[in-house]
Amino acid sequence: MFEFLFKYPATVYAKGDFVLLSRWPVWILAAAILAAGLLLAYLLWRRRGRLAGFTGLRPAAIWALQTGLAALLLLMLWHPALSVATLKPQQNVVAVVLDDSRSMSLSEDGKTRIERARAALDGGLVSALEKKFQVRTYRFGRTLERIDRRDQLTGQEEVTRINDALKQVAAEAAGLPIGAMVLVSDGADNSGGIDRETIAGIRRYRIPVHTIGLGRTAPDRDIEITDAVVPARALADSRLSALVTLRQFGFQNRKVQLKISDGTKLLASQEVTLKAGGELQAETVPFNAGIAGAKTLAISVDRLEGEENQNNNSIMRLVNVESSRPRVLYFEGEPLWEMKFVRRAMEEDRSVQLVSMARTTQNKIYRQGVAGAKELEEGFPGKAEELFRYEGLVLVNVEASYFTPAQLELIRLFVDRRGGGLLFLGGRSSLADGGYGSSPLAELLPVTLPDRKNTFHRDPAKAVLTAAGRDSLICRLVEPAAKNQERWDKLPLIADYQETGSPKPAALVLAESEVPGRGRYPLLVTQKYGLGRTAVFATGSSWKWRMLQEHTDASFQTFWQQLLRYLVSDAARPVEISTPRQVLFDEGSFRLRAAVRDKSYAPVSDTRLEAHVMGPEGISEMVELTPSPTELGQYEGEYNAAKPGSYLVELVARRGDELVGRDVLTFRREDGVAENFRTEQNRELLRKLSEETGGQYYTPETASKLASEVSYSEAGITTRELRDLWDMPALFLLLILLRGWEWLLRRRWGGV
Amino acid sequence: MRSRIALVVLGLFLLGLTASFAWQRRSRGFMGGGYGDNWVPEPPDANEKTEFVYARLMYPSARRGGFGGYGGRGGGAWTTDYPKSDRQFLQGVRRLTRLQTRSKEHVVDLDGDDIFNYPWIYAVEVGQWYLSDAQAAKLREYLLRGGFLMVDDFHGTYEWEVFMASMSRVFPDRPVVEIEDRDAIFHVLYDLGERFQVPGLAALYRGVTYEQDGIVPRWRAIYDDKGHIMVAICHNMDLGDAWEWADDPTYPERYASLAYRIGVNYIVYAMTH
Repeated sequence: MFEFLFKYPATVYAKGDFVLLSRWPVWILAAAILAAGLLLAYLLWRRRGRLAGFTGLRPAAIWALQTGLAALLLLMLWHPALSVATLKPQQNVVAVVLDDSRSMSLSEDGKTRIERARAALDGGLVSALEKKFQVRTYRFGRTLERIDRRDQLTGQEEVTRINDALKQVAAEAAGLPIGAMVLVSDGADNSGGIDRETIAGIRRYRIPVHTIGLGRTAPDRDIEITDAVVPARALADSRLSALVTLRQFGFQNRKVQLKISDGTKLLASQEVTLKAGGELQAETVPFNAGIAGAKTLAISVDRLEGEENQNNNSIMRLVNVESSRPRVLYFEGEPLWEMKFVRRAMEEDRSVQLVSMARTTQNKIYRQGVAGAKELEEGFPGKAEELFRYEGLVLVNVEASYFTPAQLELIRLFVDRRGGGLLFLGGRSSLADGGYGSSPLAELLPVTLPDRKNTFHRDPAKAVLTAAGRDSLICRLVEPAAKNQERWDKLPLIADYQETGSPKPAALVLAESEVPGRGRYPLLVTQKYGLGRTAVFATGSSWKWRMLQEHTDASFQTFWQQLLRYLVSDAARPVEISTPRQVLFDEGSFRLRAAVRDKSYAPVSDTRLEAHVMGPEGISEMVELTPSPTELGQYEGEYNAAKPGSYLVELVARRGDELVGRDVLTFRREDGVAENFRTEQNRELLRKLSEETGGQYYTPETASKLASEVSYSEAGITTRELRDLWDMPALFLLLILLRGWEWLLRRRWGGV
Repeated sequence: MRSRIALVVLGLFLLGLTASFAWQRRSRGFMGGGYGDNWVPEPPDANEKTEFVYARLMYPSARRGGFGGYGGRGGGAWTTDYPKSDRQFLQGVRRLTRLQTRSKEHVVDLDGDDIFNYPWIYAVEVGQWYLSDAQAAKLREYLLRGGFLMVDDFHGTYEWEVFMASMSRVFPDRPVVEIEDRDAIFHVLYDLGERFQVPGLAALYRGVTYEQDGIVPRWRAIYDDKGHIMVAICHNMDLGDAWEWADDPTYPERYASLAYRIGVNYIVYAMTH
């Protein structure tokens, strides 16, 4: 219809420039239109007495229609046309770029995407193109390759790299008159999308990329795990959670099991109800890290009957469960029952070691869990290298004034720079009653303490989980979540609570103390501070959960083990190595990074770093990391994981003969897996690519139009053509409409 | 007729006695009326809410030849030295440590669940106790949850056997062992590597430091699977008497001092292990 009314395809209008071919200047056209308007106004004014029904704005309406008609006629006399660049026949190349990846072998309605592509190309499109241009055909997956025949397509490439393919074809434009590209693909790119540099390269040569999109934009029946986020490191026996994102089509409200397995060992299984079709659904699945070692976790969802693609129901993630035991320094200002029970709970924990100091008398401190007689013999640490040996710090019932200003600053740095975890417990010398509200540690606290004393009350209170607490791994005493809530509901009352004031904006309140007749107060609050984290547990009597329940009940131990693991799990280490991604898909090159700090956790760049990489099939390579020129304490080194499989990197940092630290990291390269995910047509990507480069998006059904529209291009060898517009049907139709409308109005208003 | 009246009077007397006993147990005011030398006035801060509360275990006594019950108004064996010993010891704990403690003791038994609120309990004269199976099971559960029991003031072979008759039903499978000098319980606050027998006042009056055939003092214990002392057994000594008579000029200071140090160490140990 558009072409019938406007004589040319929309592409011509999009690419052409509007011109007036008359020799007379444009200002005469404007003057003529103005004169015609004035003349028509004068004529209407003269006849005003003879036209009884022409009152108000009616003469103006008639005048506007007449003037429009005159203006249109004058415009046609000035010979309007479009100046458009077109490819010179037989002198240009059209590159037809075919996606040969595995997702193109997916069958939909009885035909694979490759078969549909062939049908569209062989159905007259290629022959039509060949009449005007030289057609070069390429196929791509991991790499781009020129082919002579389209039956060379296999649909077995394990990766779709649209970006690389476009970049290579555009590079050929330097020596070839490429007039246009035709990309035939489902757009299911899995190499990170099309970058701006590639688009800019194509635009530099002004090559329009026309796209023919294949495949449905959504499957009929499928469940796919789109992502899973798992911590790269974990402590032995610690509770972890996998944030799993999935989506489904055609299985809404079905109940399925989300599972996490380590080899044949099932670590967790959780029932989920599938949400609406296409909607991304995030689920948190807690599981136990188990014993130390590098673990490859399979995160999967049930395969349901009738699924179109059963290869996207499982993904792999790596967790390095460390054998180190972070140490927590537990300091109490006076003997409290809580410490006895916390110590016992942590004796059962293989991943965190508790070192405690209890002020038994004014001048005596009883130490437990120390490595030797010298450790902490001078009392609470006064130097960074002494305090920073610990990953966590618990302050219990000790006044802020007990510490020197230097020690308070050290505690602040312990969290901020060292990345340690700091926990405050409630007590008669804790929090506001301990003078922390006006101490330098006030800013570390996740709560704004009340500006008064007597906030500690030895009255029973009920610990109540908040919504955040129900999701928190610290508070997960049993699985599943519903049973955990029941467990909390049945916990005995704590014997005391402390008013903490209001939580700070970035803080997370996980539990509250419910006191009959007084209301609720934050009980367990956490927040990030600097590199570390802080928490308040505003009671000193959670031991009641131990003494008032059967000795076989593990609620107290589980809670405390999880709380202290949370405290130390992200603590920085002197040497830390990292990769951009845990799992590399089909591409092995990446940059290893490392951060190095001294004993006071200040960044240093005077160490020598060597990474020993061990990989599949006996790979054993050394990689040297060099200091970053821009960031102190940061090191970098390039590495290429050449083969698919699991890799382990052991990094050693030395200063001369001194060992500064070491770290271990695991990562994995997987080839061919990405092609199983996001297999539906990525229409958005294809449309955007065409829009950005001046091309058009087509479906296999509309692809036949491409042959006529591909000529309008400014790339390759072109000529400018003029296309008359004065004789297009739309203009004549408009003339008739204007005149007819005027006649109708006159007739209605009594002027005819 | 006379015999009927006599029966009614006897019945009313027994009823009154039972009611009186029941009231005493409920109110835990066993010593309210005074116990001669053991009596001390209630401290003004007796009801202060504190971290530590000294809990004294009330248990049924075994008499030679049979079960004796909790004892009447005059008190069973569990009331020995009560309450002066407890309160005087608590004054020492307050003075010698940073522990926030209540000035008045609290009496617990093994029939209810109140005992679980007090992770440290003291039982005296356990050479006379007799625990029922239910009470033994309650005590076992208490100790396995993390409770600590200190027993004191029983002497000689016979009382040991009586003590063990009940204790072996609490833990049939756990041995009673001598506490080694290097154990933390003897060093947690005071170094108590060198100890000696702490006598009761009556023994001193007799010119000896032992009672019955309990000539050698024994510091024994029952440990849990992780090596924590659950039951600290002070056999052939009378620490409670030493606490009680620490203010008596005739009671030697060296005995009172050691008794206080042992008691304080046991409490601090119980709160840290």
